[in-house]
Amino acid sequence: MAILELKNVSKSFGGLVANSDVSFDVEQGMIVGLIGPNGAGKTTLFNCITGYYPPTRGEIVLSGRRINGLQPDKICKLGMARTWQKVRPLTNLTVLENVMIGAMCHTNSVKVARERARQQLHLVKMEERSDFRAGGLPIGERKKLEMARVLATGPKLLLLDEVMGGLNPAESDDIIQRILGIKQSGITQVVIEHDMKAIMRISDRVVVLNSGEKLAEGTPAEVVSNQLVIDAYLGKPMSDTYYV
Amino acid sequence: MVNRNDTDPIGPLSAQQPLPSQEAQPSPPPRRREGLLGIRRLLHASLLLISLVVLFLFPRFVESPYALHIMILLLLNTIMGTSWNILGGYTGQYSIGHAAYFGVGAYVTMVLMQSRQIPPWVGVWPGVALVIVIALVIGSICFRLRGPYFVLASIGVAEIMRLSAMNLNQLTNGAEGILATEVPALTIGGKLITDFNSKTPFYYASLVLTIVTILIAFLVMRSKLGYCFQAIREDQDAAHSLGINPTFYKNVALIISAIFTGIAGGFYAVYIGFVDPNTVMSLDISVQIVLTCIIGGIGTLYGPLIGSIVIVPIAEALRSNFFADVIFQTGLVSQDSGVGVFLKENLAHAHALIYGILVVVVIMFMPEGVIGFQRKLLRKRPA
Repeated sequence: MAILELKNVSKSFGGLVANSDVSFDVEQGMIVGLIGPNGAGKTTLFNCITGYYPPTRGEIVLSGRRINGLQPDKICKLGMARTWQKVRPLTNLTVLENVMIGAMCHTNSVKVARERARQQLHLVKMEERSDFRAGGLPIGERKKLEMARVLATGPKLLLLDEVMGGLNPAESDDIIQRILGIKQSGITQVVIEHDMKAIMRISDRVVVLNSGEKLAEGTPAEVVSNQLVIDAYLGKPMSDTYYV
Repeated sequence: MVNRNDTDPIGPLSAQQPLPSQEAQPSPPPRRREGLLGIRRLLHASLLLISLVVLFLFPRFVESPYALHIMILLLLNTIMGTSWNILGGYTGQYSIGHAAYFGVGAYVTMVLMQSRQIPPWVGVWPGVALVIVIALVIGSICFRLRGPYFVLASIGVAEIMRLSAMNLNQLTNGAEGILATEVPALTIGGKLITDFNSKTPFYYASLVLTIVTILIAFLVMRSKLGYCFQAIREDQDAAHSLGINPTFYKNVALIISAIFTGIAGGFYAVYIGFVDPNTVMSLDISVQIVLTCIIGGIGTLYGPLIGSIVIVPIAEALRSNFFADVIFQTGLVSQDSGVGVFLKENLAHAHALIYGILVVVVIMFMPEGVIGFQRKLLRKRPA
């Protein structure tokens, strides 16, 4: 069964149509790449499905349960969590405390939360940073912190919004490794990215949005050779160097 | 908890990527907060113990009722500041309307004592119950708003409460206020523990209350509640997406802070012996609470205590014209000169001016309050 089903999801802000009839399914355990030009409605879609605002029309179904209009904290507790395009660390708290707050999604014990937080920080190789103030971290570590924090909430489905934005190749590689590791542990992911190399490497399926509508869907190979996608987004046919 | 006054040593420069040859090197580490380990913990505990002993023995060595009075006001102010801090400093909801809870606690305790001879340590609890109800109502209005809008709304609702108290004469005796006739003696099982004819029992009662309040603040902050509160302060929407329901936690913080403020109000009413809307529900009270925390250190455990130590003696000194006396005695200004006469008549009312100056000084030189400043000083030592 698909872990997430989007059926005709539409979102308008007054007269501005941000998403229009977007439908696709995400199967358990896979990584879906969500790509498209800036302003295509990718982040808006994330905001809708995580409850930040309700969709204007359409159905959002998580593990068979309709979640339209539920609050973000409820949706997080149901197992779908997201990161933010512009990272949102809890600036004045320490790195460890940031991740602990994620871990507290499913526990009331500070001690248990601390343990889970340490594990997550270990997985992104940031344990030595545990006691540092989150606001003082450079961008690469903020992104890793955000991933550790959101994973501490124990999601079944993880939505990553441009986690590689602003990172250098080494940092991006770190993140890619982490994403693949997450897939290994059975967590499903939907990844918004502009880095096509990364998308090709990690995605099982790719969905393309353009001007609020779904333009194409398929395997990475299918999508990058789709002429519509090339015209709207890629600019030119992708050469072999993109295939890693 | 982390040092809050970190000036980010990396700042926007952190966005720069390291050169390819340096990619293996991590960027310089951001400020490390100091933990309480070993020696520091011992020091902290001994300091605490000594302070407690001194505080408990205080009335034995100091007999002046005026000194006791100042201490009682200081402790009350600490209770109010510490409880406000739970909502303000930790959860980031800077209410300037806490006088509403103070006043309700004061009035209920006083009314029950005067009209039905219910001893205040019993009568304060219905006061607390009413405070909780009112807090929930106020919360349901104000928490729809964020940041400065919340602050303004909190001021508004507190003023509405004060005006209601002024006009509901049947309930509150309006502007005339209510005067206490006698505080019943505390007896347990028929045995007299203490009467309340001197200041000493009030001192001990307020001391115990202060310790309880600070203890509760400490326990709350270490628990999951404390973490959720701080998450909301830092970034409400991020917290929301991590499974924290902001409305729920904001209301919990509000209720906890309102309860202790209400208890302080009940105590104040019985101690001073008189309540009226302009003394127990005024904006002055709300402002003083916030000032206490700003000066001492918002979001710290002992900040409100330090802030009280700064503010309460200054406020009392102003009221009793102490500063004017000093100025005349040292001969800086002659009592008969124009300036002298002006000072003598007006300095006592200058507490608002002094507060204003204090706030400006604090914001300019010690934005994190005294506690934050002390931490900063300690950190500047060579590593």
